[in-house]
Amino acid sequence: MSLPSSSPEREGLPQLECPSSPSGMDPDPPSTGSPVLSPDSSSHDATLSAPAASPADSENLSPDELELLAKLEEQNRLLEADSKSMRSMSGSRRNSGSSLVSSSSASSNLSHLEEDTWILWGRIVNEWEEWRRKKDKLLKELIRKGIPHHFRAIVWQLLGNATDMPVKNQYSELLKMSSPCEKLIRRDIARTYPEHEFFKGQDSLGQEVLFNVMKAYSLVDREVGYCQGSAFIVGLLLMQMPEEEAFCVFVRLMQEYRLRELFKPSMAELGLCIYQFEYLLQEQLPELNVHFRSQSFHTSMYASSWFLTLFLTFLPLPVATRIFDIFMYEGLEIIFRVGLAILQYNQTDLIQLDMEGMSQHFQKVIPHQFDSCTDKLILRAYQVKYNPKRMKKLEKEYTTIKNKEMEEQIEIKRLRTENRLLKQRIETLEKESAALADRLIQGQVTRAQEAEENYVIKRELAVVRQQCNTASESLEKALDTIRELQEQKYTEPFVTNLQTQLEQSRLHEAELFGALKEMQDKVLDLEKRSSCLPDENNVAALQEELKQIKLRELETLRSFREMQDTVTDLNQRWQLHMSRGSSTGGGGGHWKESPKKNAMNELQDKLMTVRLREAQAQAELREVKLKALQLESQNQIHSKLNGRNDQERSALQDRLQMLANQNKALQAQLNEMKRKQAELDCKSKEEVMAVRLREADSMAAMAELRQKVADLEIQKEEGLIQGQLNHSDSRQYINALRDQIAELKNEIRQMRGHKAAPSSRVSSGGGSANYQDLCLTSPTSAEGDYLSSDEDLLPSPLPPNALYPSLSSQCHPSARLDSEGSTDSEAEERVLTHPDPQQLYGSMVCAEALDN
Amino acid sequence: METIWLYQFRLIVIGDSTVGKSCLIRRFTEGRFAQVSDPTVGVDFFSRLVEIEPGKRIKLQIWDTAGQERFRSITRAYYRNSVGGLLLFDITNRRSFTNVHNWLEEAQSHVQPHNIVFLLVGHKCDLEAQRQVSQQEAEKLAGAYGMRYVETSARESINVEKAFVDLTRDIFALVQSGDIKIQDGWEGVKSGIVPNTVHSSEEVTKGNRQCYC
Repeated sequence: MSLPSSSPEREGLPQLECPSSPSGMDPDPPSTGSPVLSPDSSSHDATLSAPAASPADSENLSPDELELLAKLEEQNRLLEADSKSMRSMSGSRRNSGSSLVSSSSASSNLSHLEEDTWILWGRIVNEWEEWRRKKDKLLKELIRKGIPHHFRAIVWQLLGNATDMPVKNQYSELLKMSSPCEKLIRRDIARTYPEHEFFKGQDSLGQEVLFNVMKAYSLVDREVGYCQGSAFIVGLLLMQMPEEEAFCVFVRLMQEYRLRELFKPSMAELGLCIYQFEYLLQEQLPELNVHFRSQSFHTSMYASSWFLTLFLTFLPLPVATRIFDIFMYEGLEIIFRVGLAILQYNQTDLIQLDMEGMSQHFQKVIPHQFDSCTDKLILRAYQVKYNPKRMKKLEKEYTTIKNKEMEEQIEIKRLRTENRLLKQRIETLEKESAALADRLIQGQVTRAQEAEENYVIKRELAVVRQQCNTASESLEKALDTIRELQEQKYTEPFVTNLQTQLEQSRLHEAELFGALKEMQDKVLDLEKRSSCLPDENNVAALQEELKQIKLRELETLRSFREMQDTVTDLNQRWQLHMSRGSSTGGGGGHWKESPKKNAMNELQDKLMTVRLREAQAQAELREVKLKALQLESQNQIHSKLNGRNDQERSALQDRLQMLANQNKALQAQLNEMKRKQAELDCKSKEEVMAVRLREADSMAAMAELRQKVADLEIQKEEGLIQGQLNHSDSRQYINALRDQIAELKNEIRQMRGHKAAPSSRVSSGGGSANYQDLCLTSPTSAEGDYLSSDEDLLPSPLPPNALYPSLSSQCHPSARLDSEGSTDSEAEERVLTHPDPQQLYGSMVCAEALDN
Repeated sequence: METIWLYQFRLIVIGDSTVGKSCLIRRFTEGRFAQVSDPTVGVDFFSRLVEIEPGKRIKLQIWDTAGQERFRSITRAYYRNSVGGLLLFDITNRRSFTNVHNWLEEAQSHVQPHNIVFLLVGHKCDLEAQRQVSQQEAEKLAGAYGMRYVETSARESINVEKAFVDLTRDIFALVQSGDIKIQDGWEGVKSGIVPNTVHSSEEVTKGNRQCYC
């Protein structure tokens, strides 16, 4: 009782410290604070102490009950002060053991008060049924003030009606089973109240019992199973009571306190809670609501954990436990109230912050705002207007909205599938339309083609029509003529006339035909002639000649005219003469006439002669012309001949050159051959000479040796004779001699061998002549068949087989020796019989070629 | 304190429960690693500035989501306003890897009509001995979905910075190229430059922390 004086100061502090709190809230705390402090406070005061939200609750309370409440309040204050000091010492956020610790370290005053409350709560627990029936409102008030720590276990059980549950008996069975959620539960257990003494450390008792309860529940309620967040509630229960009891209370909470709906996999209840909360926010804190919306600070960001963990993860444990006390009695309503109270309290701060700021504020500032003034928070919570009817209405609204949404979702799904089907339909239709478009284009193309054809046909038709018209016209004409003819009628003379006409025309035709043939012949002739005609140079020459001829002709013509002039002159003269003669004759006598006649005759003769001469001149002219023509043709022929000769000449020259070249080549070859032959001859001669020299040498040696042999034989005989005289010496001597003889013989043999090799070489040197001889024999030999392919090796027309023997003789020396042995004499004969130098030369060439 | 940033990107971090989403974000935003952290119940919010090029700062708003499937009813509301996402799996937990596909589907069905640029993150790569998902396998999966892949460890602080910065760079490139456009009523990308007054946590705490009752 000595404390109250200090209490107002303590109570007064927050009003000074929290000026930012909404103005509407300010007048209340002092009014609630001071009256409650005095234990003798009147019922009026008590009424004031109760929040406006529940004025009816405290109205019917008796004075001693009020006194009790006051006592409790005082105790709470003391406890809070104590816990505050504790908190500042430990600094732990979730220091749930604070109340327990504080009780032990409480002052004597506190313990006195505590005793009272313990007695009271003991009574309540013992007379629970009665209290619930008769003193429900007082109980409510008492709970709002906070359940003493030691009574929480039983009171929560009683409040939850979880004291005697059949499920309790299953618990031990459930622990033996395994749950599909086990893994997830196990993972979350370590992070549930990780800093709390009871749950600290792996495999601690707290973690084990927490796991057990969570697992057991997940087995009892398979639909919900395990939901993150629920472990915090169970953890709180486990801090107060054994696991079986905690399990029962938790089952009750889930079943009766809407928690099951909250934790269901769909979490529909959470959505509803947030919806209801948003409504309250909009209704009571419209400004803040607008600010949240403008910053797109969703309600679910902060409120979902409030509902799911009942502030256990948001506020420090002592505060949250107080809220939980009330929750046990009043349900989720308290969460709404506290939530709104928190927002209301922080409204002015939050409105000034942006998203990050608000987030920080929620994470760092708000949780510790009420560490030491839980009562104030609860008080404020009860000042929040909360209309259950309204909430019911909201629930209905929400369910209809949700249903609508569901329907819409279903509708959307339906529409999506429909959309998909329609899309498919569109695709097929597009394909069809593409096909149709193709067909359309094709149709248009064919139509265009048809139109073209149509046009052509029309034109043809027009032509045909014209033809038809002309035909019909001619038909008409023909009909007319027929008619005319019919009118004229056939008359004999007419017919005969026609026949004669026909004959005539046929004759004419035949004539024409003849003429045509003639003309054709002429044409052919002309063509021939034209083909024979000389080329342009000749033409030019001929033209010149023609000009000359024409000139000559002109000359002759002139002379001819001159002659004519003379003739006319003569004629004139003659006429003059005649006329004179006649005039004289008429006037004169006959005698005179006769001389005249004579003169005339003479003149006539003269004329005749002149004419004759003229004729002769003309004839001569013709002759000259002919001659010119002949000359021309001759000239032509000659020029042609000339050309041909030229051609022949050039051809011959070409051939000549060619032949000369060939000749040159052949001569070169010949020279080469000759040179080689000479070389060979020289070589062979040299060799023969050398061999002969060696032969002579060897012969000399032989003679020497023979002489030596003879000497030795003589010596031998002498030796024998001497040996007969002395045996021992003679034998040795004989042996020595024999050896000498053997040596000499060997020498001789060697000499012979040496001689034989050169002789063979000599024979090969001379052999070349033999081979040549053999070549001559070969044309008759059968081996000649083999050699056809080597013809091209031969530069001159040579019997091809000539090559072969020399070839074979070189390749096979043995064969050569054979042939040497057998055919030597014959070959020599043949050389004599066939001394053909050309063949010899050929075989030489071949041998050369092979050597190379 | 004024902070100037070119753009603000909103990122969402998703993945199975206990793969280490919150730890990764805490390591990135606060630079510390908590041995134990509360399971995220609903959605948490973090933010940090990132300098992708000298002088080019991007503000990242990061949504941390609850991993348990039933929380999707809450988290799915956050996809729509996100431009990027870190899809985490735990390399020591094969199931979290096989669920990657489900997460992508979930995101895809709720992000429309927008798009999220995802980065696949193999977390807890310090626990090499307990590895159940090979790097090749994860890279193959990431390639199949057109994602970048990175292995991180919040405990050892391996690649944490890289994961966020890479994703930010990718998004920045897409914004620059015009593939991602800033739209009204969509908060995935916001253009910055306007210096906002941001209270650092210390300042706010100092001002309002105590409440003497």
